[in-house]
Amino acid sequence: MVQEKRILYEHLNVPNINTYDVYRQYDGYTRFEKALAEYQPDDIAQMVKDSGLKGRGGAGFSTGAKWSFVPKDIEPRYLCCNADESEPGTFSNRYVLEKNPHLLIEGILICCYAMGIETTYVYIRGEFTLGKKMLDAAIKEAYEQGYLGENIRDTGLNVNIYTHPGAGAYICGEETGLIESLEGKRGQPRNKPPFPAVEGVFMKPTVVQNVETLCNLPFIVGNGVEWYTEMGPTYADTRSDPPTPDPNTGTKLYCISGDVNEPGVYELELGLTCTELIEVAGGLRGEEVKAVIPGGSSAPILTHYELDTRLDFTSLTLAKSMLGSGGIIVMNETRNIVDCLLNIMKFYAHESCGQCTPCRWGTPWVRDIVQRIVDGEGRKTTITRPKFGVTESGRWGDTGETEEIYEDLDLLEDVANNIANVDTMTWNTICVFGIAVSWPAVSYMRKFRPEFEAAIREGKLVTLPVAEATVPPEENYAYQQRFIPKEFSELE
Amino acid sequence: MAFIKLNDLEIEVEDGTNIVEAARQHGIEVPHYCYHPGLSRPANCRMCLIDLYLRSSEMPERQLATGCTTTVRSAPPERKIDGKYDVIVRTDSPRVIKAREDILEFLLVHHPLDCPVCDQAGECDLQDFSYRHGHDKSRYVEVKNVPPKKDLGPDVLLYTTRCIVCTRCIRFCDEVSGTGELGLINRGSHDEIDIPRNHAGTPIQLLDNKLAGNVVDICPVGALISKDFLFKSRPWFLKKENSICSGCSVGCNVTVEYKEDGLYRIKPRFHEDINQHWMCDDGRLGYHYVNNDDRLQLPQKRVEDELVTTQWADALSLITEKISEVESNDIVVIGSAQATNEDNFVLQQFAHDVLKTTQLGLFGQQLGEEHKFPQFTIEADKNPNTAGARTILGSANGNVVLEGETLWEKVAGAKVVYLVSGVPERALDEAEKEALSKVDFLIVQDILPSAVTEMADVILPGTTFAEKDGTFTNSTGWVQRIRKTIDPPGEAQSDWLITQQIANQLGGEFEYSFAGEIALAIAESVEGYGDATHQKIGDAGIKLA
Ligand SMILES: Cc1cc2nc3c(=O)[nH]c(=O)nc-3n(C[C@H](O)[C@H](O)[C@H](O)COP(=O)(O)O)c2cc1C
Ligand code: SF4
Ligand code: SF4
Ligand code: SF4
Repeated sequence: MVQEKRILYEHLNVPNINTYDVYRQYDGYTRFEKALAEYQPDDIAQMVKDSGLKGRGGAGFSTGAKWSFVPKDIEPRYLCCNADESEPGTFSNRYVLEKNPHLLIEGILICCYAMGIETTYVYIRGEFTLGKKMLDAAIKEAYEQGYLGENIRDTGLNVNIYTHPGAGAYICGEETGLIESLEGKRGQPRNKPPFPAVEGVFMKPTVVQNVETLCNLPFIVGNGVEWYTEMGPTYADTRSDPPTPDPNTGTKLYCISGDVNEPGVYELELGLTCTELIEVAGGLRGEEVKAVIPGGSSAPILTHYELDTRLDFTSLTLAKSMLGSGGIIVMNETRNIVDCLLNIMKFYAHESCGQCTPCRWGTPWVRDIVQRIVDGEGRKTTITRPKFGVTESGRWGDTGETEEIYEDLDLLEDVANNIANVDTMTWNTICVFGIAVSWPAVSYMRKFRPEFEAAIREGKLVTLPVAEATVPPEENYAYQQRFIPKEFSELE
Repeated sequence: MAFIKLNDLEIEVEDGTNIVEAARQHGIEVPHYCYHPGLSRPANCRMCLIDLYLRSSEMPERQLATGCTTTVRSAPPERKIDGKYDVIVRTDSPRVIKAREDILEFLLVHHPLDCPVCDQAGECDLQDFSYRHGHDKSRYVEVKNVPPKKDLGPDVLLYTTRCIVCTRCIRFCDEVSGTGELGLINRGSHDEIDIPRNHAGTPIQLLDNKLAGNVVDICPVGALISKDFLFKSRPWFLKKENSICSGCSVGCNVTVEYKEDGLYRIKPRFHEDINQHWMCDDGRLGYHYVNNDDRLQLPQKRVEDELVTTQWADALSLITEKISEVESNDIVVIGSAQATNEDNFVLQQFAHDVLKTTQLGLFGQQLGEEHKFPQFTIEADKNPNTAGARTILGSANGNVVLEGETLWEKVAGAKVVYLVSGVPERALDEAEKEALSKVDFLIVQDILPSAVTEMADVILPGTTFAEKDGTFTNSTGWVQRIRKTIDPPGEAQSDWLITQQIANQLGGEFEYSFAGEIALAIAESVEGYGDATHQKIGDAGIKLA
């Protein structure tokens, strides 16, 4: 049985860990002090790079690489902490804010020290009132203890943290939408490039980092790179010669919900399989797994054929899905995938910022098509083609071959792909919200097509048995060829 | 200069040009909605997608790029593609063509397609691009959004259903007028352009600034509509002529759109150094006096204190008679800052060569207010040709032109005054009124009955900027052409032609037959105007040294 590996969440449930005194008893701020005492800023940046830390907010981009794009000669630079956690199925940042806010502050301090940043904005999802209250209180304490403000602990370092509540828009989690919103404008993502690392908040270089990503920093500094890289697999990227290491190091706060017996946040090493994860979460509630959403509602769905997929950045990308925010939703045999897609599409149609044409008008259109299918009004046409053969009367003649064409399914796929094409991974939108829409739409439809067809045929939702509802991998290009990445160590 | 390959053309373009403009310069259309050369570039309509080759001529970049935000620059030798191109662009690849079709399909999802009753039909980018780049049918069968029609301000209506949310109008109000009245409300497919309102929905600010009319021009579809033009005409029935706005001394380049029965609308025309893409609403909506039913159509003379209409011959002989009776010192001739250089030149020659008077004055619209916007200024001088009139009237007179108090002093002491006005709605102040009332014989050449014509002994019907050819000189020294659109009403005539007839009755030998001929004479005799012939001025104008 796989065990949880609590690092970020180790002291989460210690009473009053949200206060400075208790946090201090559990090594609080010692990692930051160690950073100040033992390392130059560049050393820290190098350590983060070596640790292989990948952003936990969704894109899974190497944090070290992101830092290296920040021009060091432009002042001021900003750190923007993305605490807008609003991806459906994701709820791990929230616990950090509510229960252990000093950990985030320590992470922020280390990042600011490494990058020479003096101002940090924490953009907190508007609904997280408790989280914001706790963080604000912790920030106040940190100021009082001299960990924030001017000339921190007599090192000449200045760091100020400002918290900013969102107003309830999912798109303000997208880093440039967040920046616009932070600047007081409509939360609409910007065109990229320039990326925030070059032109972010107030058009100055800005590091945007998820809460969980920042919370990893104290442990990388405190325990060292080697300790950190031992957790999670490092794969070999064989596209280059010689192969380069592709680290999926560290732990991940997996938010497991849906049909499991003990839903919640589990901190586990990266690289566990779906099956293992379900086990950790108290096992499946129900008879069999029908589907798993591996990384928040934007991620393409996995079928019961893919339960051995390892839940890390690389493996999921190879499975044509993504780890995203680590929001894992398990569905058992009673769930109807069409209904499930409708739920998700309603969310996206509501949350599209409306800035660019394909997403503004395509997303509600996709929703409407799914709605029509759910309402039992999905369209199909039966066409009859002339075919030469033995007719009923035993003579040679036209036997009339019929074929059913599920127009609405083709339309659904086409409209979604016109927003963002999941096969070529090209999008005509400003931000990748577009792909977050078409990924679920197309993957659900391709992988569970029988259930969609049944809904149209029967004129109502029909929940098929798992085996019948799922299209096997061999027959469908929605699946990547089954491919387990090799670990770098195995290669050596 | 950057050397780029655009489809199969090899072209040179200035560094910093974007692909939409580069293509336009070479006759290739890259359809677009949100991009406007005078505004910032949000790249939100996604219509101008192009294929970009940055690394090799074999493989384009994975993502299509937006042509409006992709600017070309000369690259260092090692970064050139195939050793010579700075970038390779394709606007005709299959996936670009498909992307355009897809975007157009999305644009029409909620669009009402009420072209038959839409003012924009015929000059609508959505119609045109759909026709050239779109699908022939829609696959959308659901219910369309029907947001309410909105009255945004004094002249602008929003047919919200037709809006494609390109945000050009918002950006105009933010960047050019700086007034910021427009914004988006709601989100996603419910995005609507709106003005600020309170919770009850009552507007707290209207789209009421002097540049507001420009949003109608830049709206690529029929969403923003001018009330002034609403349902007046189909655009394809209108004739168009390039001209200059007569509203103030900025001299905005405009297109006058008209039919036989009058002017229908005035739209700005691009001029880089003068008005860029814009014009103000005073100029845009100020043309109505041209169509006014009260326009002076026949000469009039005063008979027993009543003005009665008369024949041209009668009016001219009456004038000749009166002028012959007085000394040249008793005559004051007043030109107009609303009249063209040509009008004023003939007047000047008449005064100088025939009447032999040095008492030449300048009349015009009263000083108004200046309005400054971040990217536009409306000047206080509400005449289009003050600078030109001053130079030309004074050109044979040691540059002395009577204006203001000195002018009215002279007028008060004169026996005959020949006043060319042409100013629409000119009020007179007390001093002016008093001076004019002292004149024995007042000849007024004007376009509309006014406080000035009320005092006249003879009224001669002249023409507006829309009814004649000629040139105006703006406050920054640009000489630009106005062109005749409609015929003048009744028997009204070009101002220079009237002056020429009076002059010839008094022994002058003027033989001008069209305005261009006068411009040649100006070029010969007026300092600085050497190049100001109609041919050389053309549509772009020339700037005086
Ligand atoms: C539509 C959309 C929503 C997103 N929402 C979030 C979010 O709620 N929280 C978050 O941390 N990142 C979110 N992201 C990812 C951010 O854009 C960005 O990649 C991330 O904050 C970078 O931090 P990281 O490198 O630490 O992951 C979202 C991205 C997209 C496209
Ligand atoms: S893709 Fe959607 S969410 Fe992203 S900018 Fe465009 S409209 Fe907004
Ligand atoms: S905006 Fe254009 S396409 Fe739409 S109704 Fe008007 S003319 Fe037709
Ligand atoms: S009203 Fe016109 S200019 Fe304004 S956003 Fe809509 S389509 Fe664009």
